[in-house]
Amino acid sequence: MPSTILDPTGGSSPAAPDDGRPAPRSTAVRLRGARIGLLENTKHNAALLLQELGALLTAEHHVAALVPYTKRNFAVPVPDGLLHELADGCDAVITGVGDCGSCSGSAVADGILLERHGVPTAVICSDAFTASADAMAELTGDGDFPYLTTSHPVASLTPGQVRERARQLLPAIVARLTCAAPGAATAAQGAIGPGACDGTTSTAAHTAVTGGAR
Amino acid sequence: MNTPGTPHTPRIEVPFDADHAQQAVEYGYGREWSDGLPLVPVTPALVDRFLATTPRDPAEVIGRMEHLGRSCTVELAAVNAAMAGCAPAHFPVVLAAWDALMLERAARGGAWQSTSGPSPLIVVNGPIRKELGFNSTGGALGPGFRANATVARALGLIVRNAFGLRPHGLEQSTQGVPGRWTLCIGENEEDSPWEPLAASTGLGAGTPDAATATLLRTCAYVDNRHTADPEQVLWDLADAMSATGSIIFRHTACALVLGPDHARMLADAGYDRRDVQQWLYEHAGRTVADLRRAGKDGVGEDNGVRYATGTAPDAPGGEEFVRFLPSPESIPVLVAGSHGAAMSMVGRIFGAWSGTAVPIVRSEPDPNPLQEA
Repeated sequence: MPSTILDPTGGSSPAAPDDGRPAPRSTAVRLRGARIGLLENTKHNAALLLQELGALLTAEHHVAALVPYTKRNFAVPVPDGLLHELADGCDAVITGVGDCGSCSGSAVADGILLERHGVPTAVICSDAFTASADAMAELTGDGDFPYLTTSHPVASLTPGQVRERARQLLPAIVARLTCAAPGAATAAQGAIGPGACDGTTSTAAHTAVTGGAR
Repeated sequence: MNTPGTPHTPRIEVPFDADHAQQAVEYGYGREWSDGLPLVPVTPALVDRFLATTPRDPAEVIGRMEHLGRSCTVELAAVNAAMAGCAPAHFPVVLAAWDALMLERAARGGAWQSTSGPSPLIVVNGPIRKELGFNSTGGALGPGFRANATVARALGLIVRNAFGLRPHGLEQSTQGVPGRWTLCIGENEEDSPWEPLAASTGLGAGTPDAATATLLRTCAYVDNRHTADPEQVLWDLADAMSATGSIIFRHTACALVLGPDHARMLADAGYDRRDVQQWLYEHAGRTVADLRRAGKDGVGEDNGVRYATGTAPDAPGGEEFVRFLPSPESIPVLVAGSHGAAMSMVGRIFGAWSGTAVPIVRSEPDPNPLQEA
C-alpha cells in the first residue's frame, strides 16, 4: 500500500539555480597596463606559483601592477569584503591553487563570483580535484565555468619546479584572461581549447595543463 | 544438499509485511540517501514523535553551509535521525551532539569536504547514558549498541542529505577514516576517578546530561597492561601522540580515551585530569632531527604548514625537542571501556577541540522514552 515518507534532503536546490541562460561572464582584459590580482589561498606553493605567473605576465605581457591577496579560509569562497576589494582594485585575477577537497570547489566559486562582478578570473586547480571543482561550479550556477587544471601534486614541488609549472600554465592563463587563442591547441602546449570565455563549446569545461615538472 | 524452501533456518511469524520493508530499503538506496546501510523509511507520524522529544522549534536552523547554499533545520535533523535508526528518545542527544560538533571550527568550514575525511567523536555524559542505553563500558568504541551507533550515524546522514556532501562529489576524502559516523560513546563515569568530561569543561553540576564532540583522523591503541608504574603508562601514551605522520602544522592535537585500569592507576598515584594533560603536553613531541628525517622541520610563516627545509638530520640543533600538542587543555581526557586489560586509545584530532560541552535538553514532562520508542 503506498504511503508518504519524508525527503531527508529537504528537497534542496542549488544556491543559484540554472535557469537555462548563459552564466554571466566577464569580457576579455587587455593585459598591457592591467592591474592583476594574485589571490592565493595559503595552500603550499600557491603564493609562489602566482608570484611566478605574475613575474611572467609583467615581463612578457607588460601588465602594470601585481596586487597580492590572501584568502585565509581556503575552504570557503572569498568573503564579500575581499570580493569587492578584488573587483574594485583589479582588472583581472588569477587564483589558486585548488588542491584540496574544499579549496578546489571554493576556488572555482571565487572565479564565478568575480566574473559576475566583471573581473576576468583564471582559476587554477589541481587535476586530482575536478570532481569537487565541477560540483561546486554547478552549485554556484555555472557548471561550464572554464577553470584551468594543472598536474597533481603542486604542494610538493620545489621552487624550481614551481617556476617551470608557471611557465607551462602561462599560455592558458593568458588565453583565459584575454579570450585569445580559440581553436585546437593541445594541452601539452599549455594552451586553451575552444570556449575559453563562453565555456559552451568545450566538452570539458576545464583546460588541462600537464606539468612535466615532477 | 539443501533444496529451496527447506526450513533449515528457524522461521518467525511477524506482524508486518517483510516484502514491503525490503522495498522501503531499496527505495532509500535508489534515492542515494544512504551511507551504504539500510535506512528506515520516515513517515510524518514518526518524525512527529521525534520532534515531541525536544522543546526546540522544528524550523530552527541548526547548521548552515553558506557556500553550498544548504542548511539543516531541527525537523530535517529529525528526519535523518529517524532514518539512521534512532529511537525518538535519542533525538535530543543527536541535537546536542550536532551542536557540540558545530562548535568545532573545522566542522563549520571544510571538514566535510576535506581530503582528511575526519570522523566525529561524540561523548555522552550524565544519567541519560544508562536511561537510553549508551554503552560506556566494554567495547564502547565498537559496535553493538543502538544508541551509540544510530546517534553517530544520524550526524553523517545530516551531512550527506541536508548538506549534500557525498563521497566522490564535494566530499573528497583521500582514504577516509575508520569510525566515521560510528564513534559515539558514553563516558564510563562510574569507573572514572575524575569528574565527567562535560563537567570538566565548566558545565554546571545541574546539567549532567551533555554531549561533547571533536573530529578525529584516527585512533591508536596503547596496550600497557604489565606495568605498575603510572609514569611508564604516561610515557607510552605520549609516544603514541608523537608520531611524525600526524603533524602537518606547527602543532597536532590529541584526545585521550583512558581505559578504567589506566585511569585508576594514574589517580591512585595522585594524578588528576589536569596533571595527565600537563604531562602529555610536556612529553609528546620529537626532536628536530626526527622532524628533519620526516621532512617536517620547517613551519611556513604565512600558512603554518610544515615543510622540509633540507637540513641534514645530523646538522647542529637536531637534539632540540619540539612539543607537538598546542596546550594541556587542548587534550580531551575521558574514561571509557571496561576493566579487563589495561589499555587506552589515543585519538588524533583534526583541527582543534572546542573544549565545550552542550547540555542535552528534553521536553517536559519527560515521557518514558524507551518504552515509547
